[in-house]
Amino acid sequence: MATEQELNDFLKSVEKRAFKRSVYHVRDDEAALDIVQDSMMKLAEHYGDKPVAELPMLFQRILSNCTLDWFRRQKTRNALFSNLGDFESGTDEGEFDLLETFSGIDESEKVESAEDSTRRAQIFHEIEDQIMLLPARQREAFLMRYWEDMDVAETAAAMGCSEGSVKTHCSRAVQALSAALRAKGIQP
Amino acid sequence: MTHTPLHHAEILQDRFGLKVASRLSQGAAELPHDLSERLRVARLQAVAQRKRAPVRQSRLAGSVSADGSSAALSFGDEGWSPWSGLASAVSMLALVAGLVFINGIVNEDRANEVAEVDAALLTDDLPPAAYTDAGFIQYLKVSRHSTASE
Repeated sequence: MATEQELNDFLKSVEKRAFKRSVYHVRDDEAALDIVQDSMMKLAEHYGDKPVAELPMLFQRILSNCTLDWFRRQKTRNALFSNLGDFESGTDEGEFDLLETFSGIDESEKVESAEDSTRRAQIFHEIEDQIMLLPARQREAFLMRYWEDMDVAETAAAMGCSEGSVKTHCSRAVQALSAALRAKGIQP
Repeated sequence: MTHTPLHHAEILQDRFGLKVASRLSQGAAELPHDLSERLRVARLQAVAQRKRAPVRQSRLAGSVSADGSSAALSFGDEGWSPWSGLASAVSMLALVAGLVFINGIVNEDRANEVAEVDAALLTDDLPPAAYTDAGFIQYLKVSRHSTASE
């Protein structure tokens, strides 16, 4: 059974990735925060007594379900109102805030030149943009497989599909990302 | 050891994926302070809501568990022991004594109620209409006859 400290450590280790993944899906920081918060609450409330080893898979499933729920709610809302957020989202995408970037840099990175730092941030934003352009299932498979470091079987279980589908999604995502980044002269 | 072209392609694909993931991790680590704080607060709230495993009841004594409309008296998980047997016997004795006590109180209450009704009947004035009732006249005759014969 996971102790309070173990649960806290686990959530701390995944919260930022979970937030960014949600942002890639829903393209809205506030909605992504809500999704991550809901997922954390559900994990803690319903599975807080599970062994630590089971938490990653449970959290991935919960996060996916919460994201799907958000899309369902949006669909229902959009049936009644036009979603102005769709037109507003992405206005700050691709923008680069130098001060913001420097605020998170630790001691070891202070030797990095301003040019390198700018270049690194630009590459990161380009990669983010391209990931957001991927079809949802490809994006989900790619991020789980490589960013969450889950193997094919775990990704398939979390996505509720076959291992073959995961491989296909990942392969297509890699091809699309590789081609798009190469076209922009970016080497990840 | 030789690699098939397919295997080689998978290795390249994995290598590319991991490089992209590494870039994403670098970027995610530099989230704005307010977002990091909100995530931290959300995490702390979630941990505070953590589901806890049910606390085990004392195994020394038997326990009464209720599940919906049924209840069961059960011993602990460690099987029978003299102490648990003694505790169960004491519980059963207390239960039986309680039932006997409750039965006595109920009987006494019922007797009191009947006595109150009888007293009210006996002390109440006989209504004149009673003498027009044939059954009551017959009752008086019989009771008078039986009193005289004694």
